[in-house]
Amino acid sequence: MNLTDQLLAAISIYGLPVFFGVIVIAAVGVPLPVTLALVAAGSFVELGEMRLWEVIAVGSAAAILGDQLGFLIGRWGGRRLDAYIRKRKGGAERIERAHAFAERWGALGIFMTRWLVTPLGPWLNLTSGMTAYPWPRFFLWDALGEILWVILYVLLGKIFSGSVQALAEVLGNLAWVLVGIVAAALLVWWIKRSLQPGASVTRVA
Amino acid sequence: MKRLNWKQWTAIAALVLVVLGTSLLAVRTFRRAIYWRVHRDEVIRPWMSLPYVAHSYRVPPHVLYDALKIDHPPHDRRPIREIAKAQNRPVNDVIRNLDDAIARARQQSPNPSPPGRSP
Repeated sequence: MNLTDQLLAAISIYGLPVFFGVIVIAAVGVPLPVTLALVAAGSFVELGEMRLWEVIAVGSAAAILGDQLGFLIGRWGGRRLDAYIRKRKGGAERIERAHAFAERWGALGIFMTRWLVTPLGPWLNLTSGMTAYPWPRFFLWDALGEILWVILYVLLGKIFSGSVQALAEVLGNLAWVLVGIVAAALLVWWIKRSLQPGASVTRVA
Repeated sequence: MKRLNWKQWTAIAALVLVVLGTSLLAVRTFRRAIYWRVHRDEVIRPWMSLPYVAHSYRVPPHVLYDALKIDHPPHDRRPIREIAKAQNRPVNDVIRNLDDAIARARQQSPNPSPPGRSP
């Protein structure tokens, strides 16, 4: 039996406490089959083994809590990294640019990586903490995105309740396709910018 | 024409790789979704409960309980792994029994009931 089988069997037997734990740990950045856990929970709802509102409430709370932990880790590690980079030549200017970039795109990035480009979510938690993104704003966009994510995936699991493995595989692959599209768009943007006359290729914002 | 520096060449190479990788994954995902539409049955895994397998394969749950020689409880959410443990058998053995029972049930009643909540 692999890890996925063990986790889903544990969710099936012990229910919401294990479901909560799996989502918190995955939100911090540990690669667990969280898409499958959510759609399987949707199918358990359809089979009458779990209640819809409980799954949505517990899943959302777990995802939000895990993201706050990731943010805190980034904030804690970020202070040391910030101090180290500032000591280097041009470091302070780079830090300010990174902060300005987070300030400008942070809300959109946080919201979209909660429910659409999900593989980037744990990374954005860390970088939001590292760039000292305002915590109340992080919490607001994080909570909105995570609640949408949990509702969407659990309802899909409920609707396609007889095919959760196939559905989770398709959803997981789609999320990575979106990561690829975002990466390609960023590279095209950077290349175009670097080709403009007088552009500095090291600029990020 | 402006000469490209090594950073720009690296970015272009990365872009080509990302576009290729993403396209391959997108095609694979699309083909998987099409396959899933046609072949709805899931491979039976140890985490699944008997009500879930019955629901997924659109067979009455008693077919599966009978195949494993267990009384049909009101609501048995034990995964197949736990059933195999209780019967002191390898989990693959239990899954094979279930596959056979489903095949027999489908031969006897080729038109499965529509998917929905298991009785």
